[in-house]
Amino acid sequence: MNRLTRTRLAVFTAALFCAGTAAAVDFPTAPPPPGPAPTLSLPTPSSQLLPNGLEVISIQRDGLPLVTAELLLRQGSAMDPQGKAGLAQLTATLLTRGAAGRSAPQIAAAAEALGGSLDAEAGWDHSNVGITVTTPRLPAALALLAQVTRQPDFAAPELERARAQALDDLHLVLSRPTRLAALAASRAVFGEGAYGHASAGTPASLKAIGRVDVQRMHAAIYRPDDAVLILTGDIAPAQARELARQSFGNWARPPAPLAPLPPGKGKGVLPPVLLVDQPGAGQAGVVAAHAAPPRKDAEFYVGTVANAVLGGSYSSRLNEEIRIKRGLSYGAGSDLDGRRGTGLWLASAQTKNPSAAQVVDLMLGEFARLGQVPVPPDELAARKATLIGGYGRSLETTAGLAGQLEELATYGVDLAEIGRYIDRVQAVTPAQVQTYARAHLDPDSSHVVVVGDAAQFDAALRRAHPQAVRLEAASLNLDSPTLGTGRKPD
Amino acid sequence: MRMRRASWLAAIPLLALAAGMPLKAAELAVPPVQYHQRTLPNGLEVLSIEDHASPTVTVQVWYHVGSKDDPQGRSGFAHLFEHLMFKSTAHMHAEQMDRLTEDVGGANNASTGDDITNYYEVIPSNYLQTLLWAEAERLSNLNVDEKNFRSERAVVEEEYRQSVLANPYGKLFNSIDPHSFTVHPYKRPTIGSIENLEAASLQNVIDFHRTFYRPDNATLIVAGDFDPRQLDAWVDRYFGWIPKPAAPVPQVTVQEPVRTQDKRYTETSASAPLPALAISWLIPPARDADTVPLQVASALLSQGESSRLYQALVYRAQVAQQAGAQVDARVGPGLFVAYAILASGHKPAEAEKLLLAEIARLASQPIPAAELDKVKTQLLTSEIKGRQTAQGKAFGLGQAALIEGDPARINGDLVALQRVSAADVQRVLRRYVTGAHSVTIDYLPQAKAAGELQGVAR
Repeated sequence: MNRLTRTRLAVFTAALFCAGTAAAVDFPTAPPPPGPAPTLSLPTPSSQLLPNGLEVISIQRDGLPLVTAELLLRQGSAMDPQGKAGLAQLTATLLTRGAAGRSAPQIAAAAEALGGSLDAEAGWDHSNVGITVTTPRLPAALALLAQVTRQPDFAAPELERARAQALDDLHLVLSRPTRLAALAASRAVFGEGAYGHASAGTPASLKAIGRVDVQRMHAAIYRPDDAVLILTGDIAPAQARELARQSFGNWARPPAPLAPLPPGKGKGVLPPVLLVDQPGAGQAGVVAAHAAPPRKDAEFYVGTVANAVLGGSYSSRLNEEIRIKRGLSYGAGSDLDGRRGTGLWLASAQTKNPSAAQVVDLMLGEFARLGQVPVPPDELAARKATLIGGYGRSLETTAGLAGQLEELATYGVDLAEIGRYIDRVQAVTPAQVQTYARAHLDPDSSHVVVVGDAAQFDAALRRAHPQAVRLEAASLNLDSPTLGTGRKPD
Repeated sequence: MRMRRASWLAAIPLLALAAGMPLKAAELAVPPVQYHQRTLPNGLEVLSIEDHASPTVTVQVWYHVGSKDDPQGRSGFAHLFEHLMFKSTAHMHAEQMDRLTEDVGGANNASTGDDITNYYEVIPSNYLQTLLWAEAERLSNLNVDEKNFRSERAVVEEEYRQSVLANPYGKLFNSIDPHSFTVHPYKRPTIGSIENLEAASLQNVIDFHRTFYRPDNATLIVAGDFDPRQLDAWVDRYFGWIPKPAAPVPQVTVQEPVRTQDKRYTETSASAPLPALAISWLIPPARDADTVPLQVASALLSQGESSRLYQALVYRAQVAQQAGAQVDARVGPGLFVAYAILASGHKPAEAEKLLLAEIARLASQPIPAAELDKVKTQLLTSEIKGRQTAQGKAFGLGQAALIEGDPARINGDLVALQRVSAADVQRVLRRYVTGAHSVTIDYLPQAKAAGELQGVAR
């Protein structure tokens, strides 16, 4: 401290000497207060329906000649059949690998000549193919989007190639401690339910997928009456409708009804604390998970604010306690993932192996505190401001606007919510957060998973959690609700 | 400059007919970034971009100091120091920057590279004055204590473990600089080492701040919703008084010699599931006119799934799960890096052969005009995407000003990009890559069985 004060003085003297203008007396010793707050103008989406059931949602924004186009389907990995984990993702991947008489390299070349890339993926509750291009290239981009979603080949050699790539990707995912811990925690929360499986597949499930499976999945998910075309950026609603009609207007609605939704959450059989040994891991991945109310639930905004307090940003409690105060991790946080039926709360941090047990207890302590004590008003106001600011920034890009629309459209939430977000967040009270935490985040119902070099934390973790069960990463079976523990329901 | 909305609507049927014929990149106009530039008497460079699209403003301070300036035996120090700039100052408590940004609806972060360290915030525009004060405060009045120093050093050590030890390919990418440079301080990785971080002291912090954190070694960039006259007045008031020290800023003058032979190294990893390979070549500083043609060459090789490396290694031969090439241009000598992460059942030598063959083909065989036009369109489109936000424009301006040495490069590079010819691409590839010496790193997973046996049988 002393040395630093001297340094500062030395610099100050130099100012007098060299610059000759010692205006530092003018420099305030407290931050200048803000001016009057500006108002954020929120966009208004426009929604239109084509005769075949395709919904067209667009947001027009002035500025650069750029448009993000995305075809959204309201089903995803939750539809993976038993033993075929990874099918929805593989199906999305294969769309651009040959369609309408064009090979995979030809499709990639066509999309990239337009300046964008066709990105196809499947989430738990949706699948989508998107591209961002400059305005003059939009009609060509939409024509391509329509070809890959409506007329994919699913040629056998492409399936083999995609399968091999998915298997290699899987090796990478499983070698990362926090990723593996999150997969195991999902199994713990959702049990034998649809959200319990590994959406990227497992070595066994990927090998079990055949071309017929992919074709069936495509027929079930990719249909106009369960699809939404999202267009954001330099485009007016009338243009959006006309372009949608050109590319998707003659896409026939199939006679079969929509496939029934499997339940996301089923019976769980795993113990509350799992310890997965990954010998030689450079760090331990620590996660704690809970089931959450679904996205459409009235409590969604309460959960959103609770997450902002717990772990949604740098200044949230988990990062404050684990990183800022104790230096135990480069970053700790939490995420609330809405979904249909049942959602997921997931807190996570990566720490050096010997600190794993301490991080588990800090995490559980913060879940508990949220239910025990009302969030102080200043803290709540600060975290709401963080949420609202982040929301405003997410609307600055065409891709960000499309992302917001994608979430609302997937879950059938009123699109006007895009303009109500700020009021909804501001309305949440400390009492509501506390009630929510008691109902959904009770630490006694937490599912904790630690993946790492177990020799370095096994003893400490078992002292605090004598019921912890230890598994080996190499023999973990993610296809099984027991993870291969052989454990049966009590 | 851009299509008028009304005429565009009328043109839809025509455009749809023309869907099979992409427009040329040359027809893609990117609006230039309009910026204002001035320098205060104390040497602080100030760049600003007025943009009222959103009621927010970004404040960034870029310092001409990076890991190349790490003190002797203190590899990783510039980056550790960056973390400490969020701790206490004379008039701010630790993490008060977060109170002034996150807590009012903004965000902040910072990053350290080989040559620069930048600190940036985006805030509701009514907080501009507050943040200008706060940036001036930590430039002039940093005051870190021992307790905060130690806890933040532990955070940086966790960052090292996360990015190098627990990331399967972290160790490979972290080893490229140490193997690629022989004498230039770029040879030290930015993240440093646990040993060197442990050796750092609070006195190092004080000395480093005094040496490099001074107005004549910084560029302030403000972009977004502000009134230019008001901005100038606040900048003068909060930054104008900060003295310019008499001593010059230390400069790295070490010259990296031209390579005289190819070299080869092997790194091993306990966590990588599959082998990988990286090859580097030396390229000129970012300010050199050859940087843009090199970027076009790297885009031809690796931008998107239609790129040559993806098609050859990932799609056709299926020897790699990922393959790429990148231009890592710096204030001093930079690197052209080609790499591949292998697919199951393949060896680095297979990927190496194909990587080198594709580079040689690009350097020597005719490049189709449509392919060159494709990568220009890709590069221009991603530039437009980056310019959607004030923060994106400010980053572009900082990169141009500090790495390329001239803020005007933010616009000039796009003009240069439009003019790059196939002959330019081949000339730079022959000069810096196919006609020069390489450093190759083989990255091999440690045999798992052998590793496990060590504790038991051996």
